[in-house]
Amino acid sequence: MTVGEKERTLTYHPDIADSPFSTRQLLRLEQALRSADQYTGLRFSVYVGDLEEPVREHAVRLHAQLADADKAVLIAVSPNQRVLEIVTGATARKRISDREAKLAALSMVSSFSGGDLAGGIISGLDQLANHAGRG
Amino acid sequence: MSVSETVLYFVVTPLAIVLVITALVMLTSHGAPGGGGKRYRPGRPFEFTPVWFVSSADQLTDTEQASRKALTGGATAPAIRAGSETEGTRTRAGATGGASDRW
Repeated sequence: MTVGEKERTLTYHPDIADSPFSTRQLLRLEQALRSADQYTGLRFSVYVGDLEEPVREHAVRLHAQLADADKAVLIAVSPNQRVLEIVTGATARKRISDREAKLAALSMVSSFSGGDLAGGIISGLDQLANHAGRG
Repeated sequence: MSVSETVLYFVVTPLAIVLVITALVMLTSHGAPGGGGKRYRPGRPFEFTPVWFVSSADQLTDTEQASRKALTGGATAPAIRAGSETEGTRTRAGATGGASDRW
Protein backbone atom coordinates (compact mmCIF):
# COMPACT_ATOMS: atom_id res chain seq x y z
CA MET A 1 0.00 0.00 0.00
CA THR A 2 1.47 3.36 -1.01
CA VAL A 3 1.31 6.49 1.06
CA GLY A 4 -1.33 7.97 -1.22
CA GLU A 5 -3.48 4.92 -0.85
CA LYS A 6 -3.05 4.89 2.86
CA GLU A 7 -4.38 8.42 3.12
CA ARG A 8 -7.51 7.44 1.28
CA THR A 9 -8.46 4.46 3.35
CA LEU A 10 -11.60 4.42 5.44
CA THR A 11 -11.27 7.23 7.87
CA TYR A 12 -14.62 7.34 9.53
CA HIS A 13 -15.02 4.11 11.36
CA PRO A 14 -15.65 4.86 15.03
CA ASP A 15 -16.07 1.34 16.21
CA ILE A 16 -15.37 -1.31 13.63
CA ALA A 17 -15.71 -4.03 16.26
CA ASP A 18 -19.38 -3.15 16.66
CA SER A 19 -20.17 -3.48 13.00
CA PRO A 20 -22.49 -5.76 11.04
CA PHE A 21 -19.74 -6.14 8.45
CA SER A 22 -16.86 -8.58 8.42
CA THR A 23 -13.32 -7.36 7.77
CA ARG A 24 -13.50 -8.68 4.23
CA GLN A 25 -16.75 -6.83 3.60
CA LEU A 26 -15.29 -3.63 5.03
CA LEU A 27 -12.31 -3.91 2.70
CA ARG A 28 -14.57 -4.45 -0.30
CA LEU A 29 -16.73 -1.52 0.75
CA GLU A 30 -13.70 0.70 1.09
CA GLN A 31 -12.43 -0.33 -2.31
CA ALA A 32 -15.85 0.24 -3.90
CA LEU A 33 -16.07 3.73 -2.37
CA ARG A 34 -12.56 4.63 -3.45
CA SER A 35 -12.95 3.40 -7.01
CA ALA A 36 -16.36 5.10 -7.36
CA ASP A 37 -14.81 8.39 -6.23
CA GLN A 38 -11.81 8.06 -8.50
CA TYR A 39 -13.83 6.97 -11.52
CA THR A 40 -16.53 9.64 -11.33
CA GLY A 41 -14.90 12.54 -9.52
CA LEU A 42 -17.98 12.66 -7.29
CA ARG A 43 -17.90 12.11 -3.53
CA PHE A 44 -19.67 8.97 -2.44
CA SER A 45 -20.41 8.15 1.17
CA VAL A 46 -22.44 5.49 2.92
CA TYR A 47 -24.36 5.88 6.19
CA VAL A 48 -25.67 2.78 7.94
CA GLY A 49 -27.81 3.44 10.99
CA ASP A 50 -31.14 4.72 12.20
CA LEU A 51 -32.67 7.79 10.61
CA GLU A 52 -35.06 10.15 12.33
CA GLU A 53 -38.53 10.67 10.97
CA PRO A 54 -39.04 12.10 8.44
CA VAL A 55 -36.23 9.97 7.09
CA ARG A 56 -35.78 11.80 3.80
CA GLU A 57 -35.21 15.10 5.60
CA HIS A 58 -32.72 13.50 7.96
CA ALA A 59 -30.80 11.99 5.05
CA VAL A 60 -30.73 15.37 3.31
CA ARG A 61 -29.43 16.97 6.53
CA LEU A 62 -26.66 14.37 6.72
CA HIS A 63 -25.83 15.01 3.08
CA ALA A 64 -25.62 18.75 3.74
CA GLN A 65 -22.95 18.09 6.37
CA LEU A 66 -20.57 16.67 3.82
CA ALA A 67 -17.90 18.94 2.45
CA ASP A 68 -18.55 19.83 -1.19
CA ALA A 69 -22.15 18.66 -0.80
CA ASP A 70 -23.06 19.55 -4.38
CA LYS A 71 -20.77 16.82 -5.65
CA ALA A 72 -21.63 14.40 -2.88
CA VAL A 73 -23.77 11.30 -3.15
CA LEU A 74 -25.03 9.87 0.14
CA ILE A 75 -26.40 6.37 0.45
CA ALA A 76 -28.25 6.19 3.77
CA VAL A 77 -29.41 2.76 4.90
CA SER A 78 -31.54 2.22 7.98
CA PRO A 79 -31.93 -1.53 8.54
CA ASN A 80 -34.29 -1.08 11.50
CA GLN A 81 -36.70 1.08 9.54
CA ARG A 82 -35.98 -0.90 6.37
CA VAL A 83 -35.44 2.34 4.52
CA LEU A 84 -32.92 3.29 1.88
CA GLU A 85 -32.32 6.90 0.88
CA ILE A 86 -30.01 8.01 -1.90
CA VAL A 87 -29.28 11.76 -1.82
CA THR A 88 -27.46 13.43 -4.69
CA GLY A 89 -26.14 16.98 -4.59
CA ALA A 90 -26.96 19.58 -7.24
CA THR A 91 -23.93 18.75 -9.41
CA ALA A 92 -24.13 15.02 -8.80
CA ARG A 93 -27.82 15.07 -9.79
CA LYS A 94 -26.88 16.15 -13.30
CA ARG A 95 -24.72 13.03 -13.63
CA ILE A 96 -27.03 10.62 -11.81
CA SER A 97 -30.67 11.28 -12.63
CA ASP A 98 -33.36 10.47 -10.09
CA ARG A 99 -34.52 7.64 -12.33
CA GLU A 100 -31.05 6.11 -12.34
CA ALA A 101 -30.82 6.51 -8.59
CA LYS A 102 -34.15 4.72 -8.28
CA LEU A 103 -32.86 1.84 -10.40
CA ALA A 104 -29.82 1.48 -8.17
CA ALA A 105 -32.08 1.69 -5.12
CA LEU A 106 -34.26 -1.13 -6.42
CA SER A 107 -31.34 -3.50 -6.84
CA MET A 108 -29.89 -2.53 -3.46
CA VAL A 109 -33.22 -3.13 -1.73
CA SER A 110 -33.49 -6.59 -3.26
CA SER A 111 -30.11 -7.48 -1.73
CA PHE A 112 -31.10 -5.98 1.63
CA SER A 113 -34.29 -7.99 1.77
CA GLY A 114 -32.13 -11.09 1.43
CA GLY A 115 -30.03 -9.95 4.37
CA ASP A 116 -27.00 -8.92 2.31
CA LEU A 117 -26.23 -5.38 3.47
CA ALA A 118 -22.64 -5.14 2.24
CA GLY A 119 -23.38 -6.76 -1.12
CA GLY A 120 -26.29 -4.41 -1.75
CA ILE A 121 -24.30 -1.32 -0.86
CA ILE A 122 -21.34 -2.34 -3.00
CA SER A 123 -23.45 -3.19 -6.05
CA GLY A 124 -25.39 0.06 -5.58
CA LEU A 125 -22.18 2.07 -5.47
CA ASP A 126 -21.03 0.32 -8.62
CA GLN A 127 -24.28 1.07 -10.43
CA LEU A 128 -24.34 4.71 -9.37
CA ALA A 129 -20.72 5.16 -10.46
CA ASN A 130 -21.48 3.57 -13.83
CA HIS A 131 -24.47 5.85 -14.36
CA ALA A 132 -22.41 8.90 -13.45
CA GLY A 133 -19.68 7.95 -15.91
CA ARG A 134 -16.09 9.06 -15.90
CA GLY A 135 -15.61 12.58 -14.58
CA MET B 1 -3.66 -55.32 26.67
CA SER B 2 -5.67 -55.09 29.86
CA VAL B 3 -9.30 -53.98 30.05
CA SER B 4 -8.38 -50.60 31.53
CA GLU B 5 -5.87 -49.95 28.74
CA THR B 6 -8.44 -50.87 26.09
CA VAL B 7 -10.97 -48.50 27.60
CA LEU B 8 -8.34 -45.74 27.76
CA TYR B 9 -7.32 -46.11 24.11
CA PHE B 10 -10.70 -46.75 22.50
CA VAL B 11 -13.10 -44.76 24.67
CA VAL B 12 -11.36 -42.04 26.64
CA THR B 13 -9.01 -40.82 23.88
CA PRO B 14 -11.68 -40.48 21.13
CA LEU B 15 -14.00 -38.82 23.64
CA ALA B 16 -11.29 -36.31 24.60
CA ILE B 17 -10.62 -35.50 20.92
CA VAL B 18 -14.34 -34.98 20.22
CA LEU B 19 -14.67 -32.69 23.23
CA VAL B 20 -11.65 -30.57 22.21
CA ILE B 21 -12.95 -30.16 18.65
CA THR B 22 -16.45 -29.26 19.89
CA ALA B 23 -15.00 -26.65 22.24
CA LEU B 24 -12.90 -25.13 19.45
CA VAL B 25 -15.87 -24.93 17.06
CA MET B 26 -18.09 -23.28 19.65
CA LEU B 27 -15.43 -20.75 20.57
CA THR B 28 -14.66 -19.69 17.00
CA SER B 29 -18.25 -19.54 15.78
CA HIS B 30 -19.22 -17.37 18.70
CA GLY B 31 -16.61 -14.64 18.34
CA ALA B 32 -15.52 -14.73 14.73
CA PRO B 33 -16.78 -12.07 12.33
CA GLY B 34 -19.57 -13.40 10.16
CA GLY B 35 -19.60 -16.55 12.21
CA GLY B 36 -23.08 -16.19 13.55
CA GLY B 37 -24.58 -13.32 15.48
CA LYS B 38 -22.73 -10.42 13.89
CA ARG B 39 -24.74 -9.80 10.81
CA TYR B 40 -27.96 -8.21 9.67
CA ARG B 41 -31.00 -10.38 9.33
CA PRO B 42 -34.17 -8.83 7.91
CA GLY B 43 -36.84 -8.50 10.54
CA ARG B 44 -34.44 -8.76 13.46
CA PRO B 45 -33.45 -5.60 15.35
CA PHE B 46 -30.28 -3.96 14.10
CA GLU B 47 -28.39 -2.86 17.18
CA PHE B 48 -25.08 -1.68 15.82
CA THR B 49 -23.51 1.74 16.22
CA PRO B 50 -24.48 3.99 13.30
CA VAL B 51 -21.50 4.29 11.00
CA TRP B 52 -20.67 6.65 8.17
CA PHE B 53 -18.18 5.60 5.53
CA VAL B 54 -16.37 8.15 3.42
CA SER B 55 -13.43 7.48 1.17
CA SER B 56 -11.28 10.37 2.37
CA ALA B 57 -11.04 12.51 5.46
CA ASP B 58 -11.34 15.81 3.59
CA GLN B 59 -14.97 14.98 2.87
CA LEU B 60 -15.82 15.89 6.43
CA THR B 61 -16.52 19.49 7.20
CA ASP B 62 -14.81 21.13 10.17
CA THR B 63 -17.91 21.14 12.32
CA GLU B 64 -18.47 17.51 11.54
CA GLN B 65 -14.95 16.57 12.55
CA ALA B 66 -15.51 18.43 15.80
CA SER B 67 -18.74 16.63 16.51
CA ARG B 68 -17.77 13.17 15.27
CA LYS B 69 -18.56 11.49 18.55
CA ALA B 70 -21.96 13.11 18.83
CA LEU B 71 -22.78 12.10 15.31
CA THR B 72 -21.81 8.48 15.65
CA GLY B 73 -23.26 8.08 19.12
CA GLY B 74 -26.79 7.82 17.84
CA ALA B 75 -29.04 8.48 14.95
CA THR B 76 -29.73 11.98 16.14
CA ALA B 77 -28.34 14.58 13.81
CA PRO B 78 -26.55 17.52 15.40
CA ALA B 79 -29.04 20.19 16.33
CA ILE B 80 -29.60 22.67 13.56
CA ARG B 81 -28.82 26.17 14.65
CA ALA B 82 -31.62 28.67 14.45
CA GLY B 83 -31.67 31.51 11.94
CA SER B 84 -30.15 31.74 8.52
CA GLU B 85 -28.55 28.33 8.59
CA THR B 86 -31.92 26.61 8.83
CA GLU B 87 -33.12 28.51 5.81
CA GLY B 88 -29.94 27.54 4.00
CA THR B 89 -30.61 23.89 4.65
CA ARG B 90 -34.13 24.30 3.38
CA THR B 91 -33.11 25.81 0.07
CA ARG B 92 -30.39 23.18 -0.31
CA ALA B 93 -32.98 20.46 0.18
CA GLY B 94 -34.72 21.55 -3.00
CA ALA B 95 -31.53 21.19 -5.00
CA THR B 96 -30.82 17.65 -3.95
CA GLY B 97 -32.09 14.65 -5.82
CA GLY B 98 -31.94 10.92 -5.45
CA ALA B 99 -34.34 8.15 -4.62
CA SER B 100 -36.01 6.38 -1.71
CA ASP B 101 -37.00 2.80 -1.26
CA ARG B 102 -38.09 0.31 1.37
CA TRP B 103 -37.74 -3.40 1.79
